[in-house]
Amino acid sequence: MIASDLLDTPVHDDAGAHLGWVVDLRFVLDGRPSTYLAGARLHGLVVSPRTRTSFLGFERSDVRHPWPVAPLLRWLHRGTFLVHWPDVARVPGADDDTDRGRDPVVVLRAGYVRYEPGL
Amino acid sequence: MKSRLLTVALGILTAIGGFLDAGDLVTNAVVGSRFGLSLAWVVGVGVVGICVFAHMSGKVAAVSGRATFEIIRERLGPRTAGLNLVASLAVTVLTLIAEVGGIALALQLASSVDHRLWVPVAALAVWLVLWRVKFDVMENVTGLLGLALVGFAVAVFLLGPDWGDLGAQLVPQVPAQESAAVYWYFAIALFGAAMTPYEVFFFSSGGVEDRWTVRDLATSRLNVLVGFPLGGLLSVAIAACAALVLLPAGIQVDSMSQLTLPVAQAGGTLLVAVVIVGLVAATFGAALETALSTGYTLSQYLGWSWGKFRRPAAAPRFHLAMILALVVAIGVLMTNVDPIAVTEYSVVFSAVALPLTYLPILVVANDPEYMGEHVNGRAMNVLGTVYLFVLVVAALAAIPLMIATEAGG
Amino acid sequence: MRRTRTGPRDLSREPEPQQPGRILDARLHLLDRQVLDIDDLPVCTLDDLELEVAGGEPADRVPAEDGRIDGSVPVVISALLTGPVLGTRVFGGRPPASRWYRLPWAHVSDVGTVVHLSVRSAGLDATWLERWTRDHVVGRIPGGTHDPEGSG
Repeated sequence: MIASDLLDTPVHDDAGAHLGWVVDLRFVLDGRPSTYLAGARLHGLVVSPRTRTSFLGFERSDVRHPWPVAPLLRWLHRGTFLVHWPDVARVPGADDDTDRGRDPVVVLRAGYVRYEPGL
Repeated sequence: MKSRLLTVALGILTAIGGFLDAGDLVTNAVVGSRFGLSLAWVVGVGVVGICVFAHMSGKVAAVSGRATFEIIRERLGPRTAGLNLVASLAVTVLTLIAEVGGIALALQLASSVDHRLWVPVAALAVWLVLWRVKFDVMENVTGLLGLALVGFAVAVFLLGPDWGDLGAQLVPQVPAQESAAVYWYFAIALFGAAMTPYEVFFFSSGGVEDRWTVRDLATSRLNVLVGFPLGGLLSVAIAACAALVLLPAGIQVDSMSQLTLPVAQAGGTLLVAVVIVGLVAATFGAALETALSTGYTLSQYLGWSWGKFRRPAAAPRFHLAMILALVVAIGVLMTNVDPIAVTEYSVVFSAVALPLTYLPILVVANDPEYMGEHVNGRAMNVLGTVYLFVLVVAALAAIPLMIATEAGG
Repeated sequence: MRRTRTGPRDLSREPEPQQPGRILDARLHLLDRQVLDIDDLPVCTLDDLELEVAGGEPADRVPAEDGRIDGSVPVVISALLTGPVLGTRVFGGRPPASRWYRLPWAHVSDVGTVVHLSVRSAGLDATWLERWTRDHVVGRIPGGTHDPEGSG
């Protein structure tokens, strides 16, 4: 699996309702220690309900400038949430285009929890 | 004093490449001979705009060590940044073609050998400097020789104009014999000349080449505040010369050689010689700036090793990219197209490139991860946002105006 | 003050618990950043990330019961990717794994405004084109190894 298999993919809940798109992947450096950096564990998916473009990340930082670019993008991404990786029931695989003819989609488990995405 | 003068060479060279490249030298004279000084205000607006964004890009380079196209790729992602890359390369290479053609035309004037024979020689000369000469020697020599264009300002004084009359021309107004569409077409052309994307690519990468750090923020600011206003002043001086001599005589400018007519009238052969040195240095400097910008943008987008501070063997793809750009320039010029006319079409590509270049600079200049305590102040953000808006409007208006007026007809 | 908050508070979202390590978001902190080697020589731009099940096997080859991985197994970054992966990020599609240039995560020494590696660029697959250009084109032109900062 590579990061772009997940990025920009639609996200559905277990009933098939559309929740948004994966706009980013969150990693936590708490894995196997090594000389320099600990292993980067996939901690969760950042999901935006409104748009799949997320290049500036204002919805996750406390940067409020430059006005009006920052507030506008933050507003566009209102409702963005983080789901933890264990709440993910299914991700698209590399073989998806041949696989049952379904569009690649991330499916969340029933009872998944929305967390605040702020950094 | 000497070192203080040389520290601003990067700013002067950057500004010359933007305001006074071969296409803009002619545009300035065309504007002066048709509109007097009624468009000089646009140059002022453009100078403030490029100062704002060059200042930010230089500050980001000094504080974080990251040049502008690295920032563009990192913030906009590969797709949008790739679109900007294509548009920016188009602008930069079109300008490079015009500069190589301009050098060849200058050599033709001096030798009466056909300029097409001079094209490979001009390209080879540019390449040798890129290949061999130290960055600071390059910027100092071309920057200082380019200052010979001050001859145009001297000429304005020697022509002894009625200053009140000249000052009255500064009021923005559409001359009776021109249409509003043409007036605004040239307004946008002058604004675009001031704010070309390759200026910030070159300026920020040049800051990295000169190894700027946080301690050099004052140097960066000085470069901006000396270089760009000087470039703007010289471009107004060229327009003023044309307004004083060519406008009353009804002479339409269509080539570089007519630039020197007012200078000859004002200061004789000696001043013409000085100005020709300046014209050649400016054209050559702009060729270097655009060739390097081609290498900088491609390398920074793709993560290649770049920079004149490295041996060519340590930045091979960067050097290969510049060689290919020069080969393209030779090829295009051999087809006998008018090198100056080529730059008119770069307006179209600028419309795409400019907003996608200046938005990431503005955003990163506000990012504490890059800038730490040196994030933009409020005034800089207000100016930056206003100019971003103006750029988008100008970019959108440029293409219909170009088509409607047939590039200023 | 508004600006001390990290985002608009929303009743439907739980506060994120404190994590035991540094947090990196792929797009914000990793993708499209410049990668430098141990001598600060540019290597590539970080074009993509390879993810695999923690413990070893590449994720693509570990079938869960329906043939794919999911949130039940821990996943880590195994390598930074560069090369033809860029084309697919721009135009879509997916390159075969054999055409990725991998820079193992274990070689990453720091992530800041650039990604630092603890190895030399000269030994990496990702820079073979750079070496080829040097050996076959640029290095063959007279002066190609001349140090511009040295003698001038």
